[in-house]
Amino acid sequence: MGWVRRLVPVLLLLVGHAALAQDRVLNVYNWTDYIDPKVLERFTSETGIKVRYDVYDSLETLEGKLLAGNSGYDIVVPTAEPTFSRLIAAKALLPLDRSKIPHWSNLDPKLMQRVEVSDPGNRNGAIYLWGTIGLGMIPERIQALDPGAPLDSWDLLLKPEHAKKLADCGISVMDSAIDTIPSVLKYLGRNPESTDAKDLADVERTLMTIRPYIRTFASGGAVEALAGGQTCLSMTYSGDVIQAAARAKEAGQKTVRYVAPKEFAALTFDMLAVPADAPHPAEAMQFINFLLQPDVMAAITNQVRYPNAIPASRDAITPEVRDDPNVYPDTASPRFFTVRATPQAADRLRTRMWARFKAGH
Amino acid sequence: MRRGWFLNVCLLLGYAFLYVPVLLLVATSFNPNRLTTVLSGFSLRWYAALWADDKLIEAALLSLRIAAVSATGATVLGTIAGFALARFGRFPGRGAFAALLSARLVLPDVLVGLSLLLLFVQMEQTIGWPQGRGALTITLAHVSVSLSYVAIVIEARLTDAGSELEDAAMDLGASPLAAFGLVTLPLLAPALLSGWLLAFTLSLDDLVVATFVSGPGASTLPMVVFSALRLGVTPELNALATVILALVSVSLGGAWFLQQRAGRAVVPGQAGA
Repeated sequence: MGWVRRLVPVLLLLVGHAALAQDRVLNVYNWTDYIDPKVLERFTSETGIKVRYDVYDSLETLEGKLLAGNSGYDIVVPTAEPTFSRLIAAKALLPLDRSKIPHWSNLDPKLMQRVEVSDPGNRNGAIYLWGTIGLGMIPERIQALDPGAPLDSWDLLLKPEHAKKLADCGISVMDSAIDTIPSVLKYLGRNPESTDAKDLADVERTLMTIRPYIRTFASGGAVEALAGGQTCLSMTYSGDVIQAAARAKEAGQKTVRYVAPKEFAALTFDMLAVPADAPHPAEAMQFINFLLQPDVMAAITNQVRYPNAIPASRDAITPEVRDDPNVYPDTASPRFFTVRATPQAADRLRTRMWARFKAGH
Repeated sequence: MRRGWFLNVCLLLGYAFLYVPVLLLVATSFNPNRLTTVLSGFSLRWYAALWADDKLIEAALLSLRIAAVSATGATVLGTIAGFALARFGRFPGRGAFAALLSARLVLPDVLVGLSLLLLFVQMEQTIGWPQGRGALTITLAHVSVSLSYVAIVIEARLTDAGSELEDAAMDLGASPLAAFGLVTLPLLAPALLSGWLLAFTLSLDDLVVATFVSGPGASTLPMVVFSALRLGVTPELNALATVILALVSVSLGGAWFLQQRAGRAVVPGQAGA
């Protein structure tokens, strides 16, 4: 039976697929480009725990995996609103065991308090990295088209007389209703969590006045476009702009800058959390404890350029990240705000409005 | 036959449409700049970066392994299905079987991925297998996706070839199994190869189904590439694409060469007979 013998390697390959590692492992599911790889190596060499590290590029992917159940992941990094609070409501997260996380005390209590709107008592998550939502720009090109434009103000984007002049060099807005609408509500002097239909209509009217001048709605690629000079003004996450700035510098392009506008800016938090059905919860607590050390967090911030929530890490952060108040803002300032995700019925209204805005009519 | 200038231009434009993007991709892989869109000289920097990028290499190897195993599985099962449809005459329910097989071709990937995910989760809860999700579940899903394609290729080839040779073999005393092994399979060889290649390509290409049914530590190449898009692509991906392109061209060229040689060997034999 020669063909049986020939089939054996194929069968072995199939079985090899299913073979499970016997040593201690930890399955991490994080945003793409969101860690310093050396940190993972250090964790493995200190603890002997092997890390299997996968990445996602959208919260939808993460939610889909977790809500189907038995995802197999031990650590996930959902953004506080909307995903983290939704996962808490769905009881998809395991409350953290703080007795296993002695480095918890390193966390900035003021920042952790900000997250309590999503997670009362901070039971389900620790802040991994955070940032603000503001404006990424190429000041030189903006000033050339619109001399005297207010670079530090939301007016630059939301007033049509400025947006109109910048249409030629390219404006992009993040394709995310949940990140954009609260800032516009606040700009109009309303409650950023408002679910009132009239407030929403005003937001739509404001957005429609600048709609003709928007070149793209970027969910990915905003960094690339800004760094390469295909856009000159981009409403997006702070850390993405800082990475664009580094790339532009490396490529010899015009200077890219991030501004958290002087009026206000929304804070976003990415949380370290453990799925309720995580196969290795003990290793997960150990990993969170490891990450909350000042030198580890400094290394991560230096690599991905998002601020962390460990004040003791400040000294080890490179000056260009640490000393730029736009990158590392003083969160005590009242101009930074956080919002809760809206209830589902209101969400539907927002989604429809957003679709109309994107379509332009 | 002389072609007019118009047809020549059409020909040129058609092929340019197909290959200019590919050539551009290859060209920019030698661009030292971090930004794919800014050209500035020639370097092998991104090939070095690719060589050092374990994550990407690992994902590429995993994808190739899954593609090879699932293509083999789909070819075996698809050949059986295609053979049944082409050779078992008008058995009751044949129309329904054929329709059910080709209906899978038009099911959107999102549906297939989601339903397989639910199936795997249910199976794990009730019978404890497959334990967790990973390369095994992706392979099974890819077999399920590409099986129908292979069956259709095989059925078409068998219908074309007719059953006379097999009938003759059996008249001369071959058992049905021997007729299948000695006559049908060699006759099918080109269809088997193209079915296998089709299944291999489908598996290598697939992003949607794999995203649903993958698990920790099993990210295929399309998954890694796609998730890297958030912060824009680096020319490292162009370098990887160039390497894959080179491998594909070499293996296709090799296959063509072997076929040519086999063809030459057969022709004189036939002439002599």
